[in-house]
Amino acid sequence: MNDPAAWVALAPLLALAGALINGLAGRAMRAPRAGIVATAAVGAGFVLSLIALLALAGRDDRSVSVALWPYASVGGLDLSFGFLIDPLSVLMLTVVTGVGTLIHLFSIGYMRGDDGHARYFALLNLFVAAMTVLLLADGFVLLFVGWEGVGVASYLLIGFWYRTRANADAARKAFVMNRIGDAGFLMAMFLTAGAFGTLHIASVNEAAVGMAFGSATLGAIGVLLLIAAAGKSAQLPLQTWLPDAMAGPTPVSALIHAATMVTAGVYLIARTAPIFAMTPFASAVVAWIGAATALVAAIAAIAQTDVKKVLAYSTVSQLGFMFVAVGVGAYWVAIFHVFTHAFFKAALFLGAGSVIHALGGEQDLRRMGGLGAKMPITGLTALIATLAIAGVPLLSGFFSKDAILLHALTSTHLDGYGTTGLYGVLLLVAVLTAFYMFRWYHRVFAGRFRGDAKTFAAVHEAPATMTVPLVVLAAFSVGAGWLGLPAFAFPNVLQGWLEPATLGGLVSMPFDHPALWVEWLLLGVAVAAAGVGLGLGAWVYVARDGAPARRFGDGAVAAFARGGLGFDAAYRALFVGGAQGAADGVAVLDRDLVDRGLLGAGTALGTFGRAAAAIQTGRVRTYAATMFAALVILLLLLAWTGART
Amino acid sequence: MTLAALLIPLVGGVLAWATPGRARGAVAVLAAVAAFVAALFLPTAAPVDVAWLPAFGAGLRLDPSGASSVLVLAAALAMIPTVLTAAVRVRERTGTFLGLLLIMQAMLAGLFLASDLLAFYVFWEAALIPSLVLLGVFGGERRRGAVTKYLIYAVSGSFLMLVSIIAVRVLSGAESFAFHELAPAARELDAVTQGWLFAGFAAAFVVKLPLFPLHSWLIDFHRENHPSGAADVAGTLYKVGGFGFFAWAIPLLPDGALVLQPYLLTAAAVTALWGALAATRQEDLKSLLAYASLSHMGLIGVGLFSLTEIGLAGAMLLLAAQMLSTGGMFLLSGMMHARRGSFALDRFGGLARSAPALAAVSLFVIFAAIGVPGLSNFPGEFLALLGAAQASVFLAAVALASVIAAGVYGVNLYQRLYQGRQVEGTHDLRAVEVAILAPIVAGVLWFGLAPANAADRIDDGARVAVHGPDRPVPAEGGAASEPPLATAGGER
Repeated sequence: MNDPAAWVALAPLLALAGALINGLAGRAMRAPRAGIVATAAVGAGFVLSLIALLALAGRDDRSVSVALWPYASVGGLDLSFGFLIDPLSVLMLTVVTGVGTLIHLFSIGYMRGDDGHARYFALLNLFVAAMTVLLLADGFVLLFVGWEGVGVASYLLIGFWYRTRANADAARKAFVMNRIGDAGFLMAMFLTAGAFGTLHIASVNEAAVGMAFGSATLGAIGVLLLIAAAGKSAQLPLQTWLPDAMAGPTPVSALIHAATMVTAGVYLIARTAPIFAMTPFASAVVAWIGAATALVAAIAAIAQTDVKKVLAYSTVSQLGFMFVAVGVGAYWVAIFHVFTHAFFKAALFLGAGSVIHALGGEQDLRRMGGLGAKMPITGLTALIATLAIAGVPLLSGFFSKDAILLHALTSTHLDGYGTTGLYGVLLLVAVLTAFYMFRWYHRVFAGRFRGDAKTFAAVHEAPATMTVPLVVLAAFSVGAGWLGLPAFAFPNVLQGWLEPATLGGLVSMPFDHPALWVEWLLLGVAVAAAGVGLGLGAWVYVARDGAPARRFGDGAVAAFARGGLGFDAAYRALFVGGAQGAADGVAVLDRDLVDRGLLGAGTALGTFGRAAAAIQTGRVRTYAATMFAALVILLLLLAWTGART
Repeated sequence: MTLAALLIPLVGGVLAWATPGRARGAVAVLAAVAAFVAALFLPTAAPVDVAWLPAFGAGLRLDPSGASSVLVLAAALAMIPTVLTAAVRVRERTGTFLGLLLIMQAMLAGLFLASDLLAFYVFWEAALIPSLVLLGVFGGERRRGAVTKYLIYAVSGSFLMLVSIIAVRVLSGAESFAFHELAPAARELDAVTQGWLFAGFAAAFVVKLPLFPLHSWLIDFHRENHPSGAADVAGTLYKVGGFGFFAWAIPLLPDGALVLQPYLLTAAAVTALWGALAATRQEDLKSLLAYASLSHMGLIGVGLFSLTEIGLAGAMLLLAAQMLSTGGMFLLSGMMHARRGSFALDRFGGLARSAPALAAVSLFVIFAAIGVPGLSNFPGEFLALLGAAQASVFLAAVALASVIAAGVYGVNLYQRLYQGRQVEGTHDLRAVEVAILAPIVAGVLWFGLAPANAADRIDDGARVAVHGPDRPVPAEGGAASEPPLATAGGER
């Protein structure tokens, strides 16, 4: 622990301590005391993360292992717990604890007056503790502890207002769909342990590179890891829980269901990059799942009428971008987008929270509008974040999205798996993103207010605990992208920082820069995509005052899109119905067949039936007699064998 | 100290029975705590060998090494809150109830510690009697049917085991029933003979595990037992069929196990999924817990019948852990019954508002039971399934599906008890309830966060089960000479 970089190993403990204080001493923790304790716990973790970041930046050996304790060692399989502090984990930690601190701060104002105040902060701290464990783990089992831990915290926070049935249902749905992904994770671990005899991530990565390129085992492990990642990161076909997860308090949506937890799937694939680098098949599945999800969710986002659900579908869509990036082998690019997305999406969600707070719980876009004038800080920060996610040049989202587009088109890792198609889909989604975000901003902050006048009169800007995080996040939404400027013309800090940590120097991911004019052209195309989307938005909502949207909005197509393109309905019919039917069948069979059938068959045998009847009458006494008889037989047999020898 | 782990609860049970008035509760709790302390010292205790029936080569041989010490300890820890619950909640014939619980604990300790097959059999049968009387005397209205069913299943299985026990000694020509003499001789028998002998053991163990489709006694057993949940915990501790396979059937008859492996592994995987699916559709708290417990037994089964060292070790780790998680669930069900006089789930709802601490502990134990990592059941469940996947990826996947179904019934259960609108409030945890739940919570954390010590000891036993008793413990780094995850009969 002499190494300052290793101090960050205490971050989970700090957050856990905060959770315990608020969880156990909740009654004594009146507002704002609970929030201050919780914010301090995460803030301290942020400081430690920064120290680690700076310590690692200043040296060549950027990998620190911290052994924790031996979890179990059975049958030659060593499952010791340990942390790995390297550029990848430290960057993610800095984002999680940094954005986490801001959102904790925001929550102090947002949750004031809620009688579950202390419980809220305890759970939020619990989430940070689990998330930091997930990021720091050097083995799959400890990673899985954090992985299900964040799932548990997410479940509890989605259902935070548990007295409403719909919230509890949404929480349950999230938990179960995550468990489907978790089952994939477990199976991936079983196959990994079988193939390599270890679950230590670095050792597995090393062993994976020694396998035959494109081996079936690696392909299977890769696809199973993808199932895990899809569950946590809400990718097709496990995406439907995330829009429902908006039932939780809005800062929770910002922290867990936008900035941090949902990116864990991307992190998992980046952490196991050598496995995917060795199996183009699994990588192609990842990329195409990501592209399909990005498109489906972007279409759904256009039709949403809930201020948070637009953002939820947007998150699903942006996670799709990240999946494409890891799929095509551009692991550092995916983390780059995780990084920028964390800021602008957190800013957007907190902006939505600020609006919902000001309107007394109103979430319907149709009863908003014109709020920018009344809430200047919220409005301005939301505008910056909107432009950042739309891909306006020089803002953070532009650089990370452009890098994904570039790599999708030029990757050689997925040769034969249709990279041009990936590029085309993402470009279309980029247009749609700019459009639905323009719509979102305009429906909330511009135009005229569509609710009742009394509500509008009461609207006022949020207190400082809420606006300060907004301003900080907006600032990063502008500047975060400058760490990863296009490498062909500018210095790129992030690639050199992340690539050794993901691929670990075990395997190289060849990337040939296209000709200079092509790079500039692609940059121009990306700018054009954002321009088209925003222009379309301006035409529909400003020039035509929303008339095209109204004409479209009541149709069957819009309703279909609003319902998430029918996935929920289909799942309800197919799987929920099917599983319930199967479970009903099992429950009935168990009563009627197993229960009666075997006993019935038993009693059919005459002697057995009489024995049963005898036992029934005398019960314990008969049993004693049976045992005595058995012992006599035993003794006789022994005597017989004794006599024989 | 080995003998103390058996004698303390036995003597304590008799004393609690004989003590008049309120003091018997204190006597019983004291005995349970003392038994737990004794169990803590088991890993360093010496084996016991008392001549019993020397003419037949049977002795009271007790060996605290391997998985035995872990299981005795887990059972002893679970017994403390159980005895406390019984002392508080059983109003009539309390002394009898307490006495039976502690005597049962003593018999279980003997069963786990026995290193003599005949002694094992005697403890196996002896533990049935207190369990039976608890159900027969203190059970619900339809206990008569439940007792009958329980008996028929138990006795018919046990009888076949007894035949195998005698036959295994006779056929192998071993000098005695002591494990260290019996195992080397029995392992020499040919595969067909081993298969028949194994089937005899399996008859008793499969019923007791239980595995599908021989499990229906379990559901009635739990539904009809005393509403305090204390007797259900005793029943949970007595789900020792898996231990029988681990400590006796598999190490004695590895080739026989191999013969029956496909059927048993299939049955276990089906049990895991079947129980979990059935649990999702129960309207009665105790039935739900019974089916959930059945599902856990299926997971223990897939670990065992993987016949891998990892799977076997995982199965025993899960067996020990579920004593605390399932036991805790049954004790919580007793607390629910004390509040509502019913186990019907539709009588509850929204209780997190009036009983937040009860809700929090319940959720904690539910999460432990459904295998959330960091809590008690995960390490065992994980290793059992990992072992199973080495034997059959398909059957492991079937069993793994139960993990998803467990998410459904676990979260459903919490929702129906504690979330939604609160129709009728209740009181939060009382001081005595806190005392009851504290050992459970501590045990769940201990098994969940730091199972290394228990896993090490269990692994010793698993190694014997897979490789036989003669094989020396591999030296440091010696594992490299053979592939990890080797299966029993690795020559295949």
